[in-house]
Amino acid sequence: MSAPAEALPAPVGLARIGPEEVGILADFSHAFAATLDIGETLRRAVVQIAEHMNAEAAAVFLVDPAAGDIECRACAGPVDVVGLRVQRGRGIVGRAIEENRVQMVRDTRTDPDHLGDQRGFQTRSILCAPLHTAEGAIGALQVLNKRDGALFDSHDADVLRLLAVPTALALNNARLTRELVEQNRIKREFQLARQMQKTLLPARRKDYPVTALNLPAREISGDFYDYFDLPDGRIAFCLGDVAGKGMDAALLMVRASSCLRWAGRDAAPPGEWLARVNRELCETVTRGMFVCVVAGYYDQRSSMVELSNGGFPPLLLRRADERVQELRADGPPLGIVPDYVYESARFALAGGSLYAFSDGVTDVRGPERRPIGIEGVRALIERVSGLSPRARVRAIVGQLRKMSLADDTTLMLIADDRAEPRLLGRIDGSSDPENLRSVRRKVAAIASDLGYDEDARGRIVLAVDEAVANVIRHAYGGCCDGRFELAIWLDADALRFELRDWAAPVDPGRIKPRDLSECRPGGLGINLIDSVMDRWLFRQPEDGHGNQLTMIKRLP
Amino acid sequence: MSENDCATSDHQGLRLVKVRGEVDLSWSQRLRKTILEALASARPVAVDLSAVTYIDSSGIAALVEGFQNARGKGQRFALVAVSRPVIAVLELARLDRVFPIFPTVDEALK
Repeated sequence: MSAPAEALPAPVGLARIGPEEVGILADFSHAFAATLDIGETLRRAVVQIAEHMNAEAAAVFLVDPAAGDIECRACAGPVDVVGLRVQRGRGIVGRAIEENRVQMVRDTRTDPDHLGDQRGFQTRSILCAPLHTAEGAIGALQVLNKRDGALFDSHDADVLRLLAVPTALALNNARLTRELVEQNRIKREFQLARQMQKTLLPARRKDYPVTALNLPAREISGDFYDYFDLPDGRIAFCLGDVAGKGMDAALLMVRASSCLRWAGRDAAPPGEWLARVNRELCETVTRGMFVCVVAGYYDQRSSMVELSNGGFPPLLLRRADERVQELRADGPPLGIVPDYVYESARFALAGGSLYAFSDGVTDVRGPERRPIGIEGVRALIERVSGLSPRARVRAIVGQLRKMSLADDTTLMLIADDRAEPRLLGRIDGSSDPENLRSVRRKVAAIASDLGYDEDARGRIVLAVDEAVANVIRHAYGGCCDGRFELAIWLDADALRFELRDWAAPVDPGRIKPRDLSECRPGGLGINLIDSVMDRWLFRQPEDGHGNQLTMIKRLP
Repeated sequence: MSENDCATSDHQGLRLVKVRGEVDLSWSQRLRKTILEALASARPVAVDLSAVTYIDSSGIAALVEGFQNARGKGQRFALVAVSRPVIAVLELARLDRVFPIFPTVDEALK
C-alpha cells in the first residue's frame, strides 16, 4: 500500500504514557461505566479528547450495519458534522475501520483517500483510531488539526488508541444491552403468543370422551385442536397442522382454528365443514401455506363418528376386538384447491378408540434416529391399551418425550370405553295393565336420550308396550299377580330390550307375525314388534322358567 | 295430563264416540264396549280420535271389531279427526286404508 499514512500497529509503550493520560483514561472509563446515556457521554468525551489532544476538532464515527455505511455520532469543534455519513472503506475513517489500525495523516493534501473539507473547515492533518471489539472495528475515534500548526506524533497516536479502548468497550456494552433488551422483548412476545395460543385450546374436561395434548416444538405451535358440544348433544372435534413452525405458521394456526370453530357451529356434514373453511383459507392465505385438518362429530349415545380428512395423517381406529384400522385422508390439505369437495366417512366406535395425531408424532426419532412412523405409533397404542383414555394419552406423550421431538406434536383420542353393554334402565313389575303407562314413559325417555326422532320413538314405545301387554294378556292370561322384568341395554350399536316373565312356557313356534291382509281384531302385537324392531327373538330362558323376548333396535 | 276417557253423544243424527288419552290394555275393553253399544242403534257411528295421544293393538282391535260389526249390519262406521299417533299405528298395521277416515264429523256426515 502506497498511502503516505503512517500505520502504527505497535502496542502502546507504557513508558510513553504520562500521569496526564492516566488521569483522562480514568475519567473516561469512569464516565462510560457510570453512564445510562451513551450518546450524552460520547458528546462529552469528544470535547475532552479534543482538549486533551490539543486538536481543533474530534469526532466519533460508528458503523451502521443496517444502512451499510459509517455515521458521525458525536463531534467537537467549529463545525457540527453529527449525522455525516461516509461509505464503508472510504475516507481516512473508512480506512481505519477497514484495516482496524490507527491512521495518521500529517498532510491531507498528499493522501488521496482524504475526502475533502467539510463546510468550510480546513482539514490539514488527521489522526484516526479504530474502535476495536471482539467482532472487529465498530467505528473510529478521529482528531483533526493539532493546534498551533503542530503535527500529530506517535505519542498522540498511542494516546488516541488508548482512549479508543474504553470508548469501544462502552459502545459495545451499550449495543449488547440494547440487543439483550430486544431479545427479552421478543421472548416475552413469544411467551404471550404461546399463552394466547394455549387459551385457544379447549379446557380439559373430566369424563369427556375426547382427550388431546399438544407439545409445541418451539415457544409457539403450528398445531391445534379443538372440541365443543353441539346443541344436538354431539361433540364437534378438529385437529390441524399448519405447514411450517414459525410465527407465520402460528398466526395461520390462529386463523384456521377460529375459522374451524366458527364453521363447525352449524353442524354441517364434516365434508361441507372442511369445504367451507377451505374456501375461506384459499381466499386469504399466502401462497405456499396450507393446513392439514381432520374434523368431525362424535355422538356418545350411538358411538357414531362422522369425519372428513383434508391432508391429515391417517387416523388409527382400534376396535373393541383389538383390530387396528388405518383411516386415510380423502382430500388435499386446506388452502390449496378452492372448490374441492371433501367426503365424509361414518362409522361406529362401538367400544373402540380413535387416535388422531399430527405428523410430529410419526416423525419422532426412535432409538436408531429413524422416524417411528405409523407402525411405531401402532406399537405405542398397543402398549397403553389397558389404560383409561386420559392415562393412555399421557403415557403415549410420555413415551414420545423420551425420544426426540422435532416438530409440533399433537395427539387426540376419542374413546368409547363402553366395552360392556350398558344397562339404561330396568322395570320390575306385576302383570297389571296399569303398569304399561310407566313402561311407556321410561322407554320414551330413553329413546329420546338416544336421539331417535319422534316417529321412531313412538314406534319403539309401541313395540315394547305390545310385548309387555302380550305377557300380561297371553302369558299370564290377564291375571295381575304375575311378574315381568324389562331390562333396557345399550349395546355398541343398538338398543336392546330383554323382557322376561315367569309364566308357563309358551311354544316359541306359536309366536310369529300373522298375515296383515286379513282384517281381524287380535294378534296384531307381534306384527307391530316385527315391523318396528330390527331383530327379535322369543325363547325359553336357560333356567327353564317362563319366557324371554329379546328385541333389538339399531341406534339412529 | 289427559285423563283416559270415552263418551258417546248424539251429533246431528249420528252417534259420536269421543275418545281421549292413552288407549292401552288397561282400558281398551271399555272402549270396545262403548263402541259396540253405540253400534246397537241403527244410526251411523263416528269415533273421534283427535284427543288420543297413544293407542296400542288392543285399542286398534276395538276399532277393527266395531268396523266389522257395522259392516255386517250395513251400518256406517267412520273414524274422524284421527290424531297423528293413531295414524302412525294404523299405518304400521296397514289399516289406514281399511277404515273410512274423515278430518271432521261434518265431513263424515256428508
